[in-house]
Amino acid sequence: MATGRTARAELLRRVPLFHGISERALDSLVDLVTEVEFPSGRYLAQQGQVGSGLFVVIEGRVRVTRGDQTLAHLGPGEFVGELSLLDGSPRMAHVVAEEPTRVLALGTGDLLDLVEREPSIALAMLRTLAGRLRDATDPERG
Amino acid sequence: MATEAPLELVDSLARLALFADLSRPQLERVAHTFDEAVFPDGQRILRQGFQGTGFYVILDGEVAIRVDGEDRARLGRGDFFGEVSILLGEPPVADVVALGPLRCLQLGGSEVERFLLDHPPVMYRMLQAQARRLRNANRWRG
Repeated sequence: MATGRTARAELLRRVPLFHGISERALDSLVDLVTEVEFPSGRYLAQQGQVGSGLFVVIEGRVRVTRGDQTLAHLGPGEFVGELSLLDGSPRMAHVVAEEPTRVLALGTGDLLDLVEREPSIALAMLRTLAGRLRDATDPERG
Repeated sequence: MATEAPLELVDSLARLALFADLSRPQLERVAHTFDEAVFPDGQRILRQGFQGTGFYVILDGEVAIRVDGEDRARLGRGDFFGEVSILLGEPPVADVVALGPLRCLQLGGSEVERFLLDHPPVMYRMLQAQARRLRNANRWRG
């Protein structure tokens, strides 16, 4: 069963990168995401892969691993690949479904189209990242 | 360092990653919108804790990003700085110091948002660069 627009918007809202964007912009973002289902054991993304983008878990559970090490388990509302959505750099980790899992997926190319159409989204994201850079730089705030 | 004639400046801009997606007429407008600024070795262009004065794109030379007297990173040709404090409306969290003679493009803080909204591909490039910086910044903190 497909997830409704409101539920998708709520899931996207959880991603810090989208915290500053307007309701209208969020609505455009909802149009861009695709819902993808993965059976248990299937890889959503592989370490070293480029440009696979952001995944937000709707239902199910994924494991994030690097080499033999498990970095995280992510359930509904949790996400992975926020920065790789932007910089398209190779995946730092594998992401694998631990049970049948549905996710919202947003690819790097989708985001570029959106930025062209709605520059205010990019400005809001720039501001959000600027705040995080400041916090990472300034030990008293970070 | 001599100031370039406008045509040479436009050619020079075309080779910077930040402006790589702009058309020739757009590059010409960039050359007119920004001012060129030259700084001697050792000059502090941004001062930690003091109000920022602008957004800078390095044309020639290198700068150090210095926090509490400690060098955190170096930026060179094509890199930019000053956007964090402008976007947040806060004083810079780092000194930016010229390492040798430095030539930059400079845009006043109040003009930056308008410029960015008019040039979405530049914003997209900045988002990519910020995502990379954020990865690196988080690495410092271990």
